[in-house]
Amino acid sequence: MHKLGRSHRDKVQQFMTITGASEKAALQALKANLYKRYKDPYTDMILVDGITLLCNDIQVDPQDIVMLVLSWHMKASTMCEYSKQEFFTGLQALGIDSLGKFRERIPFMRSELKDEQKFGEIYNFAFGWAKEKGQKSLALDTAIGMWQLLFAEKQWPLVDHWCQFLQARHNKAISRDTWSQLLEFARTVDTSLSNYDAEGAWPYLIDEFVEYLNENGIISNAQSMTDWSKK
Amino acid sequence: MGQESKFIEFDQGWADMQKGISKLKRLLAGEAETPFSTREYMTLYTTIYNMCIQKGPYDHSEQLYNKYKETLEEYITSTVLPSLEEKHDKFMLKELVQRWLNHKLMVKWLVRFFHYLDRYFINRRSLPALNVVGLNCFRVLVYEEMHAKVKDAVLVLIDEEREGEQIDRTLLKNSVAIFVDMGMGEMNRYQNDFEVYLLQGTTSYYSRKAAKWIGEDTCPDYLLKSEECLKKEADRVYNYLHLTSETKLIEKVQHELLVVHITQLLENDHSGIKMDVLCRIYLLYNKISQGLKLVANVFKQHVTAEGTALVQQADAAASNQASNAPSGHEQVFIPKITELHDKYMTYLNSCFQGHSQFQQALKGAFEVICNKTVNGSPGAEILASFADHVLRKGGSEKLGDDDIEERLEKIVKLLDYLIDKDVFAEFYRKKLARRLLFDRITNDDHERSILSKLKLQCGALFTSKMEGMVTDVVLAKENQASFQEYLRNNPDVHPGFDFTATVLTTGFWPSYKSLDIILPTELVKCVEVFKGFYEKKTKHRKLTWIHSLGTCHINGKFEPKQIELIVSIYQASVLLLFNESGRLSYSEILSQLNLTHEDTTRLLHSLSCAKYKILNKEPSSKSISQSDTFEFNPKFTDKLRRIKVPLPPVDDKKKIVEDVGKDRVYAIDAAVVRIMKSRKVIPHQQLISETVEQLSRTFKPDIKAIKKRIEDLITRDYMERDPDQPTMFRYLA
Repeated sequence: MHKLGRSHRDKVQQFMTITGASEKAALQALKANLYKRYKDPYTDMILVDGITLLCNDIQVDPQDIVMLVLSWHMKASTMCEYSKQEFFTGLQALGIDSLGKFRERIPFMRSELKDEQKFGEIYNFAFGWAKEKGQKSLALDTAIGMWQLLFAEKQWPLVDHWCQFLQARHNKAISRDTWSQLLEFARTVDTSLSNYDAEGAWPYLIDEFVEYLNENGIISNAQSMTDWSKK
Repeated sequence: MGQESKFIEFDQGWADMQKGISKLKRLLAGEAETPFSTREYMTLYTTIYNMCIQKGPYDHSEQLYNKYKETLEEYITSTVLPSLEEKHDKFMLKELVQRWLNHKLMVKWLVRFFHYLDRYFINRRSLPALNVVGLNCFRVLVYEEMHAKVKDAVLVLIDEEREGEQIDRTLLKNSVAIFVDMGMGEMNRYQNDFEVYLLQGTTSYYSRKAAKWIGEDTCPDYLLKSEECLKKEADRVYNYLHLTSETKLIEKVQHELLVVHITQLLENDHSGIKMDVLCRIYLLYNKISQGLKLVANVFKQHVTAEGTALVQQADAAASNQASNAPSGHEQVFIPKITELHDKYMTYLNSCFQGHSQFQQALKGAFEVICNKTVNGSPGAEILASFADHVLRKGGSEKLGDDDIEERLEKIVKLLDYLIDKDVFAEFYRKKLARRLLFDRITNDDHERSILSKLKLQCGALFTSKMEGMVTDVVLAKENQASFQEYLRNNPDVHPGFDFTATVLTTGFWPSYKSLDIILPTELVKCVEVFKGFYEKKTKHRKLTWIHSLGTCHINGKFEPKQIELIVSIYQASVLLLFNESGRLSYSEILSQLNLTHEDTTRLLHSLSCAKYKILNKEPSSKSISQSDTFEFNPKFTDKLRRIKVPLPPVDDKKKIVEDVGKDRVYAIDAAVVRIMKSRKVIPHQQLISETVEQLSRTFKPDIKAIKKRIEDLITRDYMERDPDQPTMFRYLA
């Protein structure tokens, strides 16, 4: 199970000696303490204040993308709140039972973003997490914020054009299909759009985006690119 | 005979052979010589035989083999070639044919003499047989030198014959045969040294002729000449060319005469091509591969051009009319289009034997023509207007029933070519509504007839709403009877004048805007009364009044005489205001009736500035302004006792097209869901193409629109993308 650090092991031992509990129960109790620290005084959930406190404790900015990763581990259903179940799920998944452990796990969580597979899962998770409860689509502003955050990590050169395009031409909520297909687009289509298939199964909005890029001369075809570079 | 196997010295033996060879040469030259006797022949044969069977260094086989060859070569070089070189053209050909004949004979005899070599020597040394060597000599020394000249001479003669001169066909036949012979079993010499030039020459010959004739001759004459030429060329092949050339030659001739100038040929007859000429064209071009396709193409272009010209004519005529005048241009335009269609259908069936290429060409042409816009009206609208005119009162009463039926048939046929059939349906429905409600139907049978024709062609879904409309009106009449009874039984609610209401089922009828007009009290009473009656009859139904479709008969007590005015409800509402007030301003009228500026202007215009000036306007300008005032015009009169005061309808063309757009969205949704339900899993491309196909009966959907709907359906959880293959979609039950 957990590989306990020395001082930690001592604490657990202490706890066990004092209370006569098993190791497992001891660890559970420590987790419960953590939860009690952050939970809202009136509801059995961790809300905004609790999260702010948590961020403080683990020395992470609340806007930091690592919070998204954390939420993903928790399988949180919506942003800015964690249920008790979700909180424990997260701790369990990350093997955290103390603040020290928590802090230690941060670099690991950051590294998960570099993993192609995991990034995809986190990206797709973000949609459901960021949207309003009961809504089917994600509000445009929130979507843009999330995209800027996510693609700062993943490095997609067209992200700014994408956001501009949406504000200029779309101005409506983003569907889940568009969200997930955008990642595919960023992954598979190169920045000169040379391998973009207009007849393909891309969502309508992405087709529009390509048109927008062509119209505004942001993407020129390979021919003119080389001419331009000759000058 | 007494042969002695004696030893023969080479030189001696060869000297003996020479005597025989010289004799042969003299014979060939036609000099007086006795032919070889059997004994002479045997002697020569045996000499060779003996020289070959000698042992060791005295076996002269090889030398003899070489001598054989040398003999022929020497003869050719000394005798044959000079004789050929001094002659030219057909004389040269004659000489060549003769010399070739001679050579073959010579080889034949020499082979007999030297036969023994053929039996053993050549096999032992794997050398070519004697007759091969012999023929080869001719080929190398004579043919290789001369074949170009021969080919030229032959081609010159052929062209002479083409120009009508008599030539020696046998000579040609023999000359051409040489090319074949020189191939020694293969056709390559014939093909490379002769045939390719023959084809080239033929091509340029007919290219020149075609260019000349196409400028000078009429189409029928040109075709006749072409037929002649083709016959002659086939004859030529049969007579003196090799049969393998036939297809290639004919193909070239056909190409130059019939294919190259096809457009000019088919378009050059200014009086229009006659039927028999077309039949001839069909037969001729049927023989050429892809020939019919070419003709069909020209046909299609021609028909399209004619149709487009009609469209432009109509366009010009329509835009020249005053923009307010109702467009009647379709009355001329549609019959012309139908005429065009009939004309070419006749050609199609009689001259072109209903061939599918031409059917497609005609279809293609009319698809272009019928979908053009005339003066802003799409083809669909024009056709619907035409249909309306045929079916309504004052439209075609002069025509007999059969004529009307025929026209309806033509309309339905033209509908087939329209891409946006749903736009037609919408316009048709709108006009049908006006006919049904304003009592403009001439003949119920005709209405039903066209509906059943439409149903047959476009499916029941297409006509279901229209049929519903017709039924509604029938039911409304029955309803009217019971309403009258109700009024009789409840005299206290009777509004005091005749009043009928027609109940329409919303789903069947086009959508109408309902203005929130404040009706005069008399009319309000009618509404209430009917509502009372209706609610007794049926619960759970909501009535929405569409006053724009209602009419009112008002008695105008004018000073000269009383006149009955037939007006719309809105106009009636305006007029009845003047029962209370003598003079009203624009804004008073607007607020008392709760109308928009647009509607107020329209209504007041129809009552004060149009044909009948029932109201006096101050100032009496031609158009309505918001500062105008109005009053009842007591001096108004007309020669009739009853007049209809028209209210020009709002141009709802845009709205109709918008409504169609909305319906299309639903139609696409339905089609996509249907396909997904039956396929369960389907790749993106296939989904798009099947959707387009399903909807093709009604309209041509935009690919982008389909994509948008797919996304919407994904969001609504009707379907999803396959997580592993984003180009596949799955149905979510």
